[in-house]
Amino acid sequence: MSRLVVSNLSINRAELPVVTSVDLVAESGAISVVLGANGAGKTTLLEGLSGIIPVAGGTIAIDGRELQKARPGARSREGLAHVEQGRTVFRQLTTEENLRVSLHPGADIAEAYALFPELVQRRAVKASLLSGGEQQMLVIARALLTRPKVLLIDEMSAGLAPVIVTRLMTAVRKLADDGLAVVLVEQFAALALSIGNRAYVMRRGRVVHDGDCARLRQSPDELHRLYLGGAESAVPA
Amino acid sequence: MNALLTSAVAGLTAGGTYALLGVCAVFTYRLVAVVNFTGAAIGTAGTFVLIALFEAGFPIWPSVLAGIAAGTATGVAVGYVMTRWFGEASASTKAAVTVALLVGLIAVGLRLTGGQHPHNMPELFPGSAFRLAGVEVTIASVLTIGLAVLFTILSDLFLNRTKIGLNLRALADRPMAAELLGVRVQLLSLLVWGMTGAFTTFALMIIAPQRSPNFMTLSLLVVPALAAALIGVFRSFWWTLAGGIALGIVEGLASSIDSVSQYRSAIPFLVVLAVLLWSQREARWDEAR
Repeated sequence: MSRLVVSNLSINRAELPVVTSVDLVAESGAISVVLGANGAGKTTLLEGLSGIIPVAGGTIAIDGRELQKARPGARSREGLAHVEQGRTVFRQLTTEENLRVSLHPGADIAEAYALFPELVQRRAVKASLLSGGEQQMLVIARALLTRPKVLLIDEMSAGLAPVIVTRLMTAVRKLADDGLAVVLVEQFAALALSIGNRAYVMRRGRVVHDGDCARLRQSPDELHRLYLGGAESAVPA
Repeated sequence: MNALLTSAVAGLTAGGTYALLGVCAVFTYRLVAVVNFTGAAIGTAGTFVLIALFEAGFPIWPSVLAGIAAGTATGVAVGYVMTRWFGEASASTKAAVTVALLVGLIAVGLRLTGGQHPHNMPELFPGSAFRLAGVEVTIASVLTIGLAVLFTILSDLFLNRTKIGLNLRALADRPMAAELLGVRVQLLSLLVWGMTGAFTTFALMIIAPQRSPNFMTLSLLVVPALAAALIGVFRSFWWTLAGGIALGIVEGLASSIDSVSQYRSAIPFLVVLAVLLWSQREARWDEAR
């Protein structure tokens, strides 16, 4: 059982606060969904967690080991994987080569193909020539081969057909069911809430709601209010 | 005719060096995305360690090894500056930083080596390897070209057949994505800088006795090296290799023609200009339409 605990986290961009005093927990077997309008600070939060940008304050810990001062590579080796937005495949490498780059000791490429069998027949194709959906599958599969404890996924549905998004959501749910702790940042709130366990809603860099996904899914009006402002409800999980 | 052939063959040593320096420039550009203007200066630093030790009475081959180690260390030091502080900078910013570092290296190098003060540079491989159409081909020529070919083959094999090479190709494409997967980005980048530093130093040690061995002259061999890299469009090792050798041969031929021999040092600039104009031809054509 692994557990990511984020406490009082603050992140600045160009000296300006973008994420302020965020608390967040992600546990094995569960998906923590982070929602919010554009500019709410969701992507900055994930970039701070994985070390792409430095944090200004607070702590990030996996199973009690604090990581906030570690470089991104060291955080990866501690079990934190980040699937960035924008489908960051290595364009000049084939599908199989992309997977081999991330292959950590004890991992097997067969696991990636078991999760996404669609990639098997594309194994020798350059990643730049894959479809958007295949590229998203590849970056998720690639992250899986780093043997993560916690998987951060940023906007995986952007620009993809609904049928592909549903396929990806199913795969992410399976990863959580297999024991991963997942933090999912997503614009498609309804779809994310349907596979998630715990929901965080961010507005202007702060968490304005922390509660159960199922409850929030049944209250679209509340979700709407949380996105746009007005009623702030810190609902304990 | 024989004079022309002699001059062309004489250009082979320089050509082999340009080729090796050019292939190193392509290697650095492809793997750490830096157009490196310090390549020859790094090798020059190592070469002058050899000269200093040799002039102090140390035996030649231990001095060669110490010089290569110093060139490697200088390469790693420049690489550290580039990866630590400019890792996420744009290609043009990185290139500008290497120009600044080149100026700094030349200034320090000239100060430490006594400027134009003549030095006793040992010839590592004296003598003739064989005769070609009645012209002596020196061991130095064969070695520099052999070293350039070896580095080209090794680069291809290393990048395409090894896990480290695969990681380096990933690093060249998306450094942050590679680091997020646990690839040791900084370590691999320094490996690239160290390897090119070592090969560059050895090549310059071979060619230095045939040039005026002062810090400035050797450091500015980066110009023909980058011209060769440009012939390979900073991608193809083999075109860079061929371009470097051809450049040396053309320079050699020019030296035998009285009317152009005084301008032969301008040949790399003409090549750079020609390649850049050629590469822009489609844009010009589109514009004209």
